[in-house]
Amino acid sequence: MNLSIKIGKTKFPNPVTVASGTFGWKEKYYRLADVKKLGAIVPKTITLHAQKGNPPPRIHETPAGMLNAIGIENAGADAFIQEKIPMYKKLKVPLIVSVSAHSEKDFIQLIEKFNGVKGLGALELNLSCPNLKKKTLVAQDPKATHRIVKAVKKRAKMPIIAKLSPNVTDITKIAEAAEDAGADGLSMINTLAGMAIDVKTRKPVLGNVTGGLSGPAVRPVALNIVYRAAQKVNIPIIAMGGIATANDALEFLIAGASMVAVGTMNFINPSAPLEVLAGIKKYMREQKIKDIQKLIGSIRT
Amino acid sequence: MQKVQKIYKVINNKKLCQQFFHLCLKPVSAIPEIKPGQFIHIKVSQGLEPVFRRPFSVARAGKNVEVIYEVVGKGTEILSQKKPGEILDVLGPLGNSFCKPPKGVKQVVMIGGGVGVAPLLALSDVLKGRGYEMVLLYGGRIKGHTFNMRTFCKNGCKVYVATEDGSVGIKGRVDKLYTKIKANAKETFIYTCGPRPMMASVAAFARKHGVQGQVSCEEVMACGVGTCLGCAIETRSGYKTVCDDGPVFDINEIF
Ligand SMILES: Cc1cc2nc3c(=O)[nH]c(=O)nc-3n(C[C@H](O)[C@H](O)[C@H](O)COP(=O)(O)OP(=O)(O)OC[C@H]3O[C@@H](n4cnc5c(N)ncnc54)[C@H](O)[C@@H]3O)c2cc1C
Ligand SMILES: Cc1cc2nc3c(=O)[nH]c(=O)nc-3n(C[C@H](O)[C@H](O)[C@H](O)COP(=O)(O)O)c2cc1C
Ligand code: FES
Repeated sequence: MNLSIKIGKTKFPNPVTVASGTFGWKEKYYRLADVKKLGAIVPKTITLHAQKGNPPPRIHETPAGMLNAIGIENAGADAFIQEKIPMYKKLKVPLIVSVSAHSEKDFIQLIEKFNGVKGLGALELNLSCPNLKKKTLVAQDPKATHRIVKAVKKRAKMPIIAKLSPNVTDITKIAEAAEDAGADGLSMINTLAGMAIDVKTRKPVLGNVTGGLSGPAVRPVALNIVYRAAQKVNIPIIAMGGIATANDALEFLIAGASMVAVGTMNFINPSAPLEVLAGIKKYMREQKIKDIQKLIGSIRT
Repeated sequence: MQKVQKIYKVINNKKLCQQFFHLCLKPVSAIPEIKPGQFIHIKVSQGLEPVFRRPFSVARAGKNVEVIYEVVGKGTEILSQKKPGEILDVLGPLGNSFCKPPKGVKQVVMIGGGVGVAPLLALSDVLKGRGYEMVLLYGGRIKGHTFNMRTFCKNGCKVYVATEDGSVGIKGRVDKLYTKIKANAKETFIYTCGPRPMMASVAAFARKHGVQGQVSCEEVMACGVGTCLGCAIETRSGYKTVCDDGPVFDINEIF
């Protein structure tokens, strides 16, 4: 059975990965032998300089999902490269580093830093960052998306994946802009904008007032977005949004995604990614599908 | 994928008093040794309602793992329905633990508010018989928050209770009991867990008398293993995670 997927020049042993910001693998908690079975690992988004993150409360439970406003708390690119990359390399699982920046200049500096790191599987651009010239996110503006992806692509030694936001009118416009600019793949979806209010105090629940919705609650929305994008672009898509089971993941693969990532459900069921992988294999055996490529985009409409 | 994910069997789940339940669990396979202050992260329902696991301090650890909890919402309501023999998906033990009292300490003061008393019981289990003068100051809102403190007494603790309505012990908040603290900067050490305003009052007392101590903190949690950064708490050295850096912090780190 062939489960391998290629994005740009990087080959991933299987299509199951984890969504940025939702997976850690500290040895005191995880069985490394299991972590090594993943098709790729995507750590939390890294920015050029350390960010302290948003004031608490940062998370809130919602029906079949959660709101988060973590604020990309991270130690910055240099610390990540020095302290974390060597540990990731030992795992020998393809590493997709997620990065974000507030300007094109900072994105370029980030790329140059990561160009110096050998053996990266890919770089994922988290484009849910403010688009400085307008009051939108980069991922909400096809022109800004095109500009950033192009600038990065020109310099990057590794494949570039653009991570897109669902908070747009027409995802296909953004997806096409990223593809035109040379992206090797797309990741979707990031969280849906949302909020919650404590009626006793009439204050927003989240310290940041608003946040992003994720988890099984968003899955049908994510599936529709992935399906629509897959109709328009020819580059591989890493799909995420509420995936909890192999059945959920299969929906995304059939809709046209090449890889699937477990996000929020890692917090609830840490075994979810491996259960998803086992379930995909079982389905392929039952359906007599020898190559995952035959499954991807096999939707019958 | 996580080695801390285990199946536990419910041995017992009974009312401890009007407001609290006592849950006794048996891990189906071996788990690491549990230290006082650590917690377990329980999936209370098999479905997605509620989605998050619920964290509970370990109140006693031996052959079985015991939890004392209060029903405050849907998760704890579901937990209160569990019957002996049912199985639960549990992550744990998680988090750091209370430190040993520093050298020279003679009086160990435990200050618990409501169900926050739970990890202090686990602490008294390991500190008993070591020559400390142990004192538990317990504050509950009403009679329904008080329970038989026999286990603390058996561990050699002197127990003092205050209730806000005066139905049990002295009337008022737990700060009325601070007179029991010797407050000798070198010889007294405080451990506290309870509602934030109560812990803030303990911290103010400790600072005033130069007494050291530790607090066990709470924040809403998703992963429980330091990944999501959702349970951040502001400390003097920046944001830390309650689940992985905590739940136990130096009293001066937080207040
Ligand atoms: C490290 C740690 C140890 C804990 N140990 C114990 C324990 O030993 N015994 C015990 O009874 N409880 C303990 N808690 C609190 C317990 O986790 C919450 O009471 C529980 O998650 C509430 O779930 P629920 O679905 O019943 O309530 P929900 O429906 O989620 O909420 C009901 C109410 O409880 C409040 N609440 C929810 N989660 C928390 C929380 N984590 N901390 C404080 N308030 C909360 C909500 O704001 C709301 O007002 C601990 C929490 C932490 C973080
Ligand atoms: C707590 C939390 C933190 C997240 N952090 C990031 C992040 O740093 N970078 C990023 O690109 N996406 C981040 N995400 C979004 C996820 O990667 C994913 O796109 C989204 O949650 C949808 O998938 P899910 O429903 O399976 O969680 C985060 C999501 C959550 C819940
Ligand atoms: S609950 Fe996820 S980091 Fe603490």
